[in-house]
Amino acid sequence: MKHLTPLNAKARRISADLAAQEEDVVALQQAPRPHVPLGCSLSFSPGWEVDATGGTAGLCQPVERDLYDCYVTCFWPVQVADHVNYSPDWASNCAAATKDWRNLDIVFP
Amino acid sequence: MLPRKLICTLIALAAAVPAHAGSLMLGTYPDKLFTIDDQTGAVKDKIALETGLPVSLRLSADRSKIYATTITTSGVIVLDAATHKILTQFALNTPTEKYRFNGGVPDPTGRYFYTVLMRIDKQVDRYVVSKQQFAVIDLVAKKVVRTADLEPQDDALAGGYRAPMMISPDGKTLYLFKNKVLLVDAASLKVVDRIDVEKADATGYENVAFGGGIEGLQLTTPNQLVSMFTADDPYVHNKIFGIGRFDLTARKFAFTPIGPITNQISGLEVTPDGKTAYTVATTGMTGNKRCEFWKFDLTDLKLTDKQEFHCRSRFTLGMSQDGAKLYIYGASYDIEVYDAASLKWEKTWDMAADATMAGMIALQ
Repeated sequence: MKHLTPLNAKARRISADLAAQEEDVVALQQAPRPHVPLGCSLSFSPGWEVDATGGTAGLCQPVERDLYDCYVTCFWPVQVADHVNYSPDWASNCAAATKDWRNLDIVFP
Repeated sequence: MLPRKLICTLIALAAAVPAHAGSLMLGTYPDKLFTIDDQTGAVKDKIALETGLPVSLRLSADRSKIYATTITTSGVIVLDAATHKILTQFALNTPTEKYRFNGGVPDPTGRYFYTVLMRIDKQVDRYVVSKQQFAVIDLVAKKVVRTADLEPQDDALAGGYRAPMMISPDGKTLYLFKNKVLLVDAASLKVVDRIDVEKADATGYENVAFGGGIEGLQLTTPNQLVSMFTADDPYVHNKIFGIGRFDLTARKFAFTPIGPITNQISGLEVTPDGKTAYTVATTGMTGNKRCEFWKFDLTDLKLTDKQEFHCRSRFTLGMSQDGAKLYIYGASYDIEVYDAASLKWEKTWDMAADATMAGMIALQ
């Protein structure tokens, strides 16, 4: 197809769209999906205040039950420290988040 | 001759002792593996890991070794399954190299560990991030010795580097369970076939629930894998679930449809005799979510019983090594114990430490 040249606007948009898929910058919904290997900056999940429907019934009760798996997987990056890059010792003094959350380390961004 | 009173006492003591006590092993925060008595729930061992937080656990095919991986420093740990002693542990990360992987599968010799990973190299002015790669970790040399990039069509499938893996008993074929099942030649690390069925999601969990381990993927013989899978019919794309069986050596797959899919269905937990299996089916979402244990007769591939239970927002299903108890755990510091025969709640064990997403393995 390299010998074809787009002549009108629509053809140029198709060509540009195909070319964009070769670039480093890709949409999050685009396949293959981009990987987020270095940190949590591209995760936009809202947090433990509300669930996916805007309510609270779908959340863990209490929220501390779910704190640590989000700490490891960067699921709530705004609210929870980042285990992989910056705060590997955040939970080192607290084995059960629901019971001894007061022992969690304080993180200053 | 023993006095009659002593004989009665011995009989009473014998009756009070469980017929066969085993252990459970789980990953716990911040950096330990716990072993738990599966009769009393007492924590027996607290095994500290030098490489950080455990994210996957699995038994070797011959059940003699335990393989764990950690996320903090990308560690690999091998333990003796009988004594729970650490045989080797090491971290792959260095100050300038980081790896991201979750779990994987050891080869039959125990020398190599297959996984899917990404490598991040810190350079003077930037980080260089690799594509997702099949990788082979040499457990003796303690380093990654071979890699091969995933093809874009395989990389695009959901599951990422957290997809569970299995290996054939001859060590020649890897199985990667994404939303297709990829058959990978272990020698070349090339995908040789793709099967268009998807392993059913764990209940209430994202894909990460499987932790690269094999929860819900059960070996009924060293060569046969059984689990819940979902599939579409080719005409109206009606989504159904069923029980799939893999012949790992012959690369054959048999799928028996059972019914239309619910909101989510976990993988199977199969009893040691291979005749009965359990899963958890979820309907509804958030506040309307309802969970049921489903019991299957694997001989006839029929659903024989179901029982609703009060479920957490996120959890994982496990089973005792004798198949008599079902466990609901995860996103918490406790384990809920259900009787597998009646599907009724019995008790809750407090571990005093949150379980990680490494899953649970049942030990003798």
